Amino acid sequence: MAGVGFQRWVRTLSKGKISGISGLLPACRSGEILTYFPINIGEIAAAAKKYNIRVEDYKPIADNGEGYGDYPQLPDRSQQDRDPAYQWDHPDLRRNWNEPMHWDFDMFIRNRVDTSPTVVPWSTMCKQLFGFVGFMLFMFYLGDKFPAYQPVGPKQFPYNNLHLERGGSPDVEPEEVKNYEI
Amino acid sequence: MHPTTLMYTSSLLLMFAVLLYPLLVTFTSLPLNNDWASSHAKTAVKSAFLISLAPLSLFLSTGMEAVTSSWTWMVTTTLDITLSFKFDHYSIIFIPIALYVTWSILEFATWYMHSDPLMNRFFKYLLTFLVAMLILVSANNLFQLFIGWEGVGIMSFLLIGWWHGRADANTAALQAVLYNRVGDIGLILGMAWLATNVNSWDIQQMFILSKNLDMTLPLLGLILAATGKSAQFGLHPWLPAAMEGPTPVSALLHSSTMVVAGIFLLIRMSPLMENNQTALTLCLCLGALTTMFTATCALTQNDIKKIVAFSTSSQLGLMMVTIGLNQPQLAFLHICTHAFFKAMLFLCSGSVIHSLNDEQDIRKMGGLHHLAPFTSSCLTVGSLALTGTPFLAGFFSKDAIIEALNTSHVNAWALTLTLIATSFTAIYSLRVIFFVTMGTPRFLPLSPINENNPAVINPLKRLAWGSIFGGLLVMLNINLFKTPVLTMPAELKLAALAVSILGLLTALELATLTSKQFKVTPLRTPHHFSTSLGFVPAIIHRQIPQLSLLLGQKIASQMVDQTWLEKTGPKAIANATTPLASATSNMQQGLIKTYLTLFLMTLVLVTLISTT
Repeated sequence: MAGVGFQRWVRTLSKGKISGISGLLPACRSGEILTYFPINIGEIAAAAKKYNIRVEDYKPIADNGEGYGDYPQLPDRSQQDRDPAYQWDHPDLRRNWNEPMHWDFDMFIRNRVDTSPTVVPWSTMCKQLFGFVGFMLFMFYLGDKFPAYQPVGPKQFPYNNLHLERGGSPDVEPEEVKNYEI
Repeated sequence: MHPTTLMYTSSLLLMFAVLLYPLLVTFTSLPLNNDWASSHAKTAVKSAFLISLAPLSLFLSTGMEAVTSSWTWMVTTTLDITLSFKFDHYSIIFIPIALYVTWSILEFATWYMHSDPLMNRFFKYLLTFLVAMLILVSANNLFQLFIGWEGVGIMSFLLIGWWHGRADANTAALQAVLYNRVGDIGLILGMAWLATNVNSWDIQQMFILSKNLDMTLPLLGLILAATGKSAQFGLHPWLPAAMEGPTPVSALLHSSTMVVAGIFLLIRMSPLMENNQTALTLCLCLGALTTMFTATCALTQNDIKKIVAFSTSSQLGLMMVTIGLNQPQLAFLHICTHAFFKAMLFLCSGSVIHSLNDEQDIRKMGGLHHLAPFTSSCLTVGSLALTGTPFLAGFFSKDAIIEALNTSHVNAWALTLTLIATSFTAIYSLRVIFFVTMGTPRFLPLSPINENNPAVINPLKRLAWGSIFGGLLVMLNINLFKTPVLTMPAELKLAALAVSILGLLTALELATLTSKQFKVTPLRTPHHFSTSLGFVPAIIHRQIPQLSLLLGQKIASQMVDQTWLEKTGPKAIANATTPLASATSNMQQGLIKTYLTLFLMTLVLVTLISTT
């Protein structure tokens, strides 16, 4: 929005009736560049005319010292929310020529934030998604506490637990090792 | 140089030369001939594939791997970077498969993109992508891998936004870039940690030097990188959105090659992960969640490309699960077999879409079994391979993964989720086949159904051979690094088959319900959850950009001035001192006579006290 003010400044300067910086002053005083919060009905009408909207639709942004001036508060709806079938002047932008731009128009372009209504209310969506993720995390925690694995037992070799192969004497009676029944 | 190493290096060099030549020709001002795409680009990839068979056969017969380091790029006191190529089991087997699939896709694209005025540029982009992918796969150090990584990311952006006049395509391309960027944070974190602690980006040196170090932080970075690139849960929305691009792009990038780059990175770095249980558990749980979530989303989609995209995401989750099981080679096997049947599924979808005059909604297809028999047969074969039908390509990798999962000491919930996702795979695969090929046609009679073009038939045929025999060929010729567990109860051995058959029967039952007139189905919460993709895009794509953009705008335009001039500057000083000044002045009532009397009385009192 700073760029808009600069353009206005340049335009006023280039109108060129009076040379130099003093050429700037009448425009300052008339409110062409510095826009003040409209107080009376005359200023409201002038501002609505300036921004190309009807007086009924014009609503200035509340003056909290943030410096919005008389810029209108347009509805917070994104370009994606607009009718795709309507014959816009700029069909890809879904915008008509000389239409007033929202202060955050760069946020509301079709590539960015979309405010179109969702099938399900916002609170339900958040509850379902974060509930799902929370449930999954909890179940993963439980799955870590009670893991799944195949049972294993100690090794059981044939031939009397490999008595002869392990160097046992053939005369001695080997003890029977039975960890499980096959 | 050893003759084998010489053979590997010269083959790769020749492959790069063959692939770069068509690209370099486009930089001159000479006009390209009409069939440049077919005669130059596709032929280059075909030749590169045939060249790559030489190192493959040499590797299969000798089993010799090689690392070649040539030109020194950067030498500092602590870090050396050279141009270094790794010809190991993974790269030598993957490169021919990638080139085979790319060759088929390029031939298909000569038909699919025929009416596009910028078809030559399209092929140029695909070739550039392929070169970047080969750099990524053959890299022996992380710097070279990063070059390939970013290259495939950029080409993905350009190709998804191919029809850049369409705002949805631009949004999808932006999504791809931003989500990949978040993953890149992880990769750079890992690279920075390794550079500072291990002083090397060379794969061999990193493995040796990190033996006794705690590798949790860089591994988390690498897992984040894989989450971004391979569309794991959390950074997954870009993959279904990437279907805005043309079908050959979806077939090449977003099923076979680019999206597996994240998994490939983890496979390359698997020796670092072997001993880190945190990283392995994270991979396992993340992969299981991804595979289940995306399979759930795929169940209710109506766009044929979106279903296949979610199917890809689900299989990527399965590969992540395999890495979490400490079985990187099985994950690699799944990458190879998955490339064949997934590319074929996308090409079949493309053939169907073009045949029905760019109709992508499966509810408006049907009966293509009689009208496009070859395409529907390939679709069926591809879907069967995807579900792990015994002895097709997918079976060898998928069944091995499920067996390894069943016989390992794993998180029970991860096991459950993976088996559920396997049955969901069968469900949505049957849904696609039912809606597309079976029943009666639900589209207009005058549709340009024509699959008689060899540019369509030959790629599908090649990929069909790959989907049928690919798994067997790869399995017969590789040596498994880790001993598979071969003894298990029959229930575990048949578990994958059982859940798939269960899913198939459920889907058949549900499909036949659609032909009966039941009462109106009420709105169901799980259906909304699934159709709206778990509400992840709706919430994340609205909330986060809104917060950051609003805050940015407010800070830049209003808050800086307001803070410095009003809240902390001159106005604040004025607001602070005004009450003090008014309080002081209110206290001064102007009672001069009273003040003077008090002053004189005090003076007299002081004089009296001091004199006494």
